[in-house]
Parts: sequence; structure tokens; C-alpha cells
Amino acid sequence: MHPAIRTRGLTRQFPGGFGVRGLDLNVPEGSIYGFLGPNGAGKSTTIRLLLDLLRPDSGEVALFGQPLHRGSRQALAMVGALVESPSLYGHLTGRQNLEVTRRLLDVPRPRINAVLQRVGLLDSADRRTREYSLGMRQRLAIALALLGQPRLLILDEPSNGLDPGGILDMRRLLRQLAAEDGITVFISSHLLSEIDQIASHVGVLLAGELRFEGELDQLRSRVKPRLLIRCDDPLRARDLLAASGEIVASRDADTLVVTLAEKSEAQLNRLLVGQGIEVSHLAREVASLEALFFDLTVDVPMENAA
Amino acid sequence: MSAQLRALSAEMLKLRGTLALWMCLIAPATVVALYVLQVSFSKIVPRPAPDPAESWFFFTQSIFVLWSFLMLPLLVTLQSALLAGLEHSDNQWKHLLALPVPRRVHYLAKLLVLTGLVLAAFVVLLLLIPVGGWLLVLLKPAFGLHGMPPWPALLKSAAACFAASWLIVTLQTWIAIRWRSFTVAVAVGMSATVIGFLVGQSERFGHWYPWSMPMQVFAGHGEHLPFVVFAGVLGGLVVTALGLADYLRREIG
Repeated sequence: MHPAIRTRGLTRQFPGGFGVRGLDLNVPEGSIYGFLGPNGAGKSTTIRLLLDLLRPDSGEVALFGQPLHRGSRQALAMVGALVESPSLYGHLTGRQNLEVTRRLLDVPRPRINAVLQRVGLLDSADRRTREYSLGMRQRLAIALALLGQPRLLILDEPSNGLDPGGILDMRRLLRQLAAEDGITVFISSHLLSEIDQIASHVGVLLAGELRFEGELDQLRSRVKPRLLIRCDDPLRARDLLAASGEIVASRDADTLVVTLAEKSEAQLNRLLVGQGIEVSHLAREVASLEALFFDLTVDVPMENAA
Repeated sequence: MSAQLRALSAEMLKLRGTLALWMCLIAPATVVALYVLQVSFSKIVPRPAPDPAESWFFFTQSIFVLWSFLMLPLLVTLQSALLAGLEHSDNQWKHLLALPVPRRVHYLAKLLVLTGLVLAAFVVLLLLIPVGGWLLVLLKPAFGLHGMPPWPALLKSAAACFAASWLIVTLQTWIAIRWRSFTVAVAVGMSATVIGFLVGQSERFGHWYPWSMPMQVFAGHGEHLPFVVFAGVLGGLVVTALGLADYLRREIG
């Protein structure tokens, strides 16, 4: 079975060192693939390359095994996309916006109600989209992406600017699409907590290079547990811990972060208290992707678990 | 239905609730109304029964000159900016160009719709010219209009003027799509129209300048008519080919 997305050596550079270099993406069919990276890492560039909006300097893209380039764009028939902000005609209603794309795609008319229902916009379908809230605009944009019954949905930061309720709705919708319709979802984000909740696979992009790709669980298992410590004399505590061979960093003026290695948290506590330092807070940090992100940013060697 | 026809019907839907169709009515109506008013208020020295055919010729010629000199190039400018602006405003290009239809259909749909809008404005002008004339029969009998307008001559002039204007239709389409900014398209169209005001009056250069080609249909005794019709259509095809080649290579950032 061909992966939903496969790129080899995908490269596109911009002046100033921006862009992406040598991307080898493998997005398995049926996965929810979180494409992570800080702003400016090249996520949007990658997505534009995956949709033939940009042309690569070198490398290739294949969607479900079909090559995609300027001369051969048929693979796009299997893709629905939302690139950055929704592209809507504000003077038209939600339904008319869908009708514009429906005419271009030549799909049957009942698809419009089907996708409106899917994203929960049936009731507001006949209002002009300029009156829509941001959350409604995002949902209509996803309805537009779903119109052609795609096997792959490519979404560029779909939660951007949504309120917490909107984010929850979006998450539920994406899960449904993957579970019920069997759509592969490729979703980019700089909000790690966002991906953490829904993704089965992740790719981490840093400064234009893919630094990790694999299952989310693989990624989690690589996170070293960390201890957060607050005490009355953080400077001295930091020196003490460092002197005893711990990897220690300051998160802010009051909080130290220790990467747990050989000693347990109880031993570290005893060490500090024994030296007359009053420890007010000592807790393991929840193994979030944030922490992992930090690891990947600090550790230079490229790792690819895929 | 071919992808091109589907793109065209999508384009028509986008025009709903815009001023595009209204402008095809307002622009010619303004020109005709303006000229009818001018004649109504002017003092005409009574002549012994002017020839109605001559009066109709004079009447239609004056309207066509005002139309082709000023209103038509400005109409093309505004309509092209409006059509392209629909896609620039929310960067709809990134949505359209990620669809599995040939990229060219979007560009050609814009060009065809603009051509259609200009054609519609010509039809409205053709219908309003006799109406304006008959108003003058009532308001200003001394002007000498009488009976039916000379339809064959009227149709021929309008058709030639329309063909000669196609080069600026294709140029403005390219410019308006190429640059995101509404200002660029409008600035080019306005400046070119003003320049045309001078160049268009030149015996030697008038028929070479795209923005004064439509007007050259009516210059002199129509000696430039074949040239500007030919140049309008052929030039339009060349510009369309170039614009399309540029569009197909374009990247959406």
C-alpha cells in the first residue's frame, strides 16, 4: 500500500535561509499525522509544496503513489486542503461558496448538504460568510476541502485563532473524519498540545529539516522525565545539583529543571534539604511534547525513528 | 461539461451581489445621458431642415467617441480589478490552484467573463443610443434627429470598437491578476487612459497605442479601422498567451 504522502529529498530554499531541505516525509494512509514545528520552520512551505502551489528546487512528491508536479496534477483529486486562513467570498453565502467549488470540481449537488452537515453548518448555510465567526469560517473551509470526497486532508494550522470551544470542536471533527470516513489527516501546528491530543503519527520540522518522524508513542517514550524544583535559594541549589553531576537548567528565577538520570527525585530532595535549602515544590513534569520539542531543539544529531 | 465551462459558471456565481453587472448598465447610460443633456442645453442655430441621416451619424459618432476615449478604458480597468480582486482579497488563489482542474481555466475564465461584461456594456450602449436619440427628437427638434437610427452603420461601429478594445481587455486582465494590489491595476488603467487622451489625437501614433485603439475606429474617415480591429484581436491573443504562460508558472506564497 502506498503512503498517503511520500516525499523524497524535497527541497525549496528562499533568500535568508528559509525554506525546507531534503524532506523525506512518510505519511501512512489512515493516520492523523501531526506536522510540528515552531513558526518559520517551513511548515507552510512544505504544505504549499505538497499542493503544487510552490515548485520544489529538487526532490519529489507522491500522493498515494501518484507523482505530483506542475505537469501532472491529477493526484490533487484525492486531496482536500485548507492552507492558512480560509479563502472565502465574503459577499456570498456559505452555500454559494461551496457551490463555486462544487462547479469547479463537478461533484453532485447533494454533496453540499452532506459536507455542511459534517461540519455542523447547515443552519447558517444561507448567511453571507462575511458575517461568520472565525470558527464558522474555519469549519466552512474544511467543508470546502471535503467537497471532493478526498482521501487525504491537508490542514495548515486549522486551530489558529480559535477559542477553546472552537478548538475542541475542530479536534472532534478531525477525529471523526479519520475514524468514520477513513480520511488521512495531515495537520500542521506550532501548538504541540494540539497535536498531542489527536495525532497517531508526528513529524517534527526544525529550521527546514525533518528532525523526527514516527508514531507519537515512540516520540513520547523518548522524552526523558524532568523534575521541576522551587526552593528558597535557587542559585545555590543549582550549583549543588550541578556539582553532583545533574543536568540542571533554570526555567525562570524561581524554578529549576533537572533532567532525571540516575538519582531519583527523593535522592535529589534529600541532597538539597541536607544542605539547608528549603524545597517548596518538587514535581515530575508531565511528559508533554513541549518537553520533547525542547530536547529535539537542544540535541543536535538527527534522529529518524520511522 | 468541460473544466473551462465549469470554471466559467463558477465565475458567474461569484459575480452575484457585486456591482459588475450594474456597471455594464451604468457606464453606457452615463455616456448617453451626458450627451443628450449636453445637446438639450446647447444653443443650436436653426438650419433649414438638416438631413436626419447626417444628424444620426453626428449623434452616434459623438457618443462613441466619448465612450471609447474615456468610459470604455475606465470600465475595463475597474471591471478587471473587481474580477481579480475577488480572488486576491482572501488569497483565494491558494484554494483554487490546489484543486484538480487545469490551472489555465481560472485565468481564462476571468478573461472570458471580462470580455463578456464589456460585450454586455456595448449591447446596452447600442440599445440606449436610439433611446437617447428619440428623447432628443422630443426635447430638441432643431438637432434634426428623425426616424430610425442607421442600424447597419451603428452595428458595424460597435463591433469594430469592441474588437479593437480586446487588447486592453487582455492587458488589464493580466495586470489585475498579476499584482495583488487593486491600486496597481487601477493606476495603470487610469494613467493609460489619460495618456490615451493625448496619444489618441495623434495622426501618426494614435492607432498604435492600445488604449486609444477603440477610439481610432471613429478617427478621420475610419481609415485606421481595419488596422485597430486586427491589432486588437491579434494583440489580444499574444497578450493572452504571454499572460497565461506567466500565470502557469506562478507560485502562490
